[in-house]
Amino acid sequence: MKKRKAKAPKHDLIRKTNRFPQFAKRATSLILCIGIILSFSSCWSRRELNTLAIVLATAFDTTTQPEMLQVTAQVVKPGQIKASSSASGGEATQKAYTNIKSIDKSVISAYAKITRMNNRTMYFSHNRIIILSRELAEKGISEEVDSFTRNNETRLNVYLLVSEGKASDILNEEFDLESIPANHIAEMIENQKINSETAITTLRDFDIAMLSDSTTPLVPIIKIYETDGKNDAKLEGTAVFKDGKMIGEFNVSQTRGLLWVTGKAHQGVETVQTDWGQVDLRFSHSQGSFKIVKNEDGSTGIRIKIDARGCIDSNATEEDISTVQNLEKLEKKAEEYIRGDVEDAIKQAKALSADVFGFGEAIRRDYPKDWEKMKGNWDKEFLMLEPEIEITVSLTCTGGIGKPIVPGGAE
Amino acid sequence: MKLENGHVSERALMFSVFCFMQGTMLRAAFIVAITKNDSWAMAFTGLVFSLLLIVIYVALFRRYPQKNLFEINESIFGPIFGKLISVLYLFFFLSLAALNTHDLGDFVVGHMMPGTPLTAVILLFMLVCVYAIRKGIENLLRLSTVLAIIGVGAVVINSGLILKDVQINFLKPLFQLPLEKYIQGTVTITAIPMGEIVAFAMIVPMLDKNKSAGKALAKGLVLSAIFLAFIMLRDIVTLGPLITIVGLPSYESVRYINVAGVLTRMESIYAIILISLFMFKVGILLYASVLGLAQLLNFKSYPPLIRICGASIFFYALIVFEAVMENVDWGATTAPFFSLTFEFALPTFSLVAAVIKKAVTPQEAEG
Repeated sequence: MKKRKAKAPKHDLIRKTNRFPQFAKRATSLILCIGIILSFSSCWSRRELNTLAIVLATAFDTTTQPEMLQVTAQVVKPGQIKASSSASGGEATQKAYTNIKSIDKSVISAYAKITRMNNRTMYFSHNRIIILSRELAEKGISEEVDSFTRNNETRLNVYLLVSEGKASDILNEEFDLESIPANHIAEMIENQKINSETAITTLRDFDIAMLSDSTTPLVPIIKIYETDGKNDAKLEGTAVFKDGKMIGEFNVSQTRGLLWVTGKAHQGVETVQTDWGQVDLRFSHSQGSFKIVKNEDGSTGIRIKIDARGCIDSNATEEDISTVQNLEKLEKKAEEYIRGDVEDAIKQAKALSADVFGFGEAIRRDYPKDWEKMKGNWDKEFLMLEPEIEITVSLTCTGGIGKPIVPGGAE
Repeated sequence: MKLENGHVSERALMFSVFCFMQGTMLRAAFIVAITKNDSWAMAFTGLVFSLLLIVIYVALFRRYPQKNLFEINESIFGPIFGKLISVLYLFFFLSLAALNTHDLGDFVVGHMMPGTPLTAVILLFMLVCVYAIRKGIENLLRLSTVLAIIGVGAVVINSGLILKDVQINFLKPLFQLPLEKYIQGTVTITAIPMGEIVAFAMIVPMLDKNKSAGKALAKGLVLSAIFLAFIMLRDIVTLGPLITIVGLPSYESVRYINVAGVLTRMESIYAIILISLFMFKVGILLYASVLGLAQLLNFKSYPPLIRICGASIFFYALIVFEAVMENVDWGATTAPFFSLTFEFALPTFSLVAAVIKKAVTPQEAEG
């Protein structure tokens, strides 16, 4: 008996569903459909474009009161971008951005305050740069870095900068080629790969260096300079951080040396003074690296290896430097220049007692047991390191012409 | 009395195991916290132990062919004690489903829609799962192949795009942590994503008689382990030491993608795939609990119970944790032991009991 019943479960099921009135079934599915449509529109906590203040850059400054912090957010005015690009010359157009300032005890509370001054809410997903004033950097920027890493709107690939002077001033600068300063600066940073004189740093790089026992984070410095009675901003040098505070800086040539060692310099220009005059070299596809080596007595040493490849980019002399002998001389000369930069960088790093290259981190990775011993007094150990520097320069081409263009050069 | 008449191919079962595991694996933070930059290796050590678990399960399946876990329990321990053990498993499946649902809710609310209440997210999610199981587990299992291909494709493409920002050095130093960390890591990875494969003990009878369940499960596990190692390698070389402090390493590394300023914000793709995989996983767990419950209550068919189970998982998921921190703490301290009880201790106990029973009454064992 039992078996028979079990054989016809389908039949049972059909009878059951028939008992459920047809219209009720339809009503339920209709309600469900409406429910699904309503939820797919995702307007629970909707934020329409016209209620957002899209932040493109953020600047942090100290204020006259020591415990207060000034936050400047550069917010884009979408309507004005179009207006300013379509308006023909001579017409006075409004700026395509506005800088919103707020002062409070912390980053988050300063932002919270902004909502009491504006009709739009801040939206950070498109934030491209964070500028910190030097004064603030010297006091410590752990809070700023933490809050920007923690927030779920901000991104880790935002560029960090330290400004000489007030950070908010940089965001106030008018630039001729770009209507929004934030975009101008962000694109300028992206262009730096061409000449390898700026240590480009994203929030991720900063966080990673900060988490390390030994490596010191680096941030490029931006400053305002005056040309033709007008202010402009430029990138120059690198700020060195230790324990979350800025402790010193690298100038341009030291920064270049630093980038050679850390393998971040691939392209660049070197102006070389030769016996005959001035020659410009352009490097591309170059590579630098360093390796930890074990000396015979068991101590660890560093071997820096730089392989620079390049072409002659200009020749201001009357000498035909495209001959093999002259090229060799030129390569020697270029090598001296690079060595000078690298040695300068190492000297400055030791002066600041800051492991900007990540030597300690490399020892930790390759010789973890040695690192355990050195970790305690790495500051001292770092000063004792005497890296070997091995540089090869190969000039492979002379550009479109061989001989220089000089009066009467033709035979 | 057979509650499920569906069939599943060996390949679909293999991909189901794969998809089942990816949902958890894409959020590998719990394991990274323990073994840091060596976490990728845990995928393989964990695999070895998980294969041992499969050996136990397969031994059980061999002894009781065409029976699911709950039926096996009844065959071994008799109607009353067997049901008692089955109730424990039912509790485990429901808990797993609730925990995973809660994880999904935390992810959506924490990273995608901070303003939406958890309840709304979980409710919609459960509706989809219930709908999927009502339309038949067979369809869901067949969907696994497509889901797996999309999942793997997205991860591979995302990894290709991040390639320019990685530093291989972050993998070093290799294996320098104390040994107990590796043991802890292996146990965690065995217990949390891999051992949860025990839910498939409810599905295996759908496989054709002549097909080997062990092979499909093992293949699925091996695939998952390789893929998990790949994901963790990518996250480690992208984030470096940062990996141990971010909440969702894969999410953060996908967020970092920026190719020529055009290919950015890829995390929405990651989110969609993660949510689909979670749907798959919770769907399987829901099915396991529904089928189990129907068996316990001697129902003739299981569909009427789907909504009830779905509703209980929904409320369970709402109350299971109050804060993300509790969830993390649970994952790091309690979860491995909780899970291993059901994934290792109980099946082993069953197997031993079955062997003894067979030895005592050799003639009746198959009855």
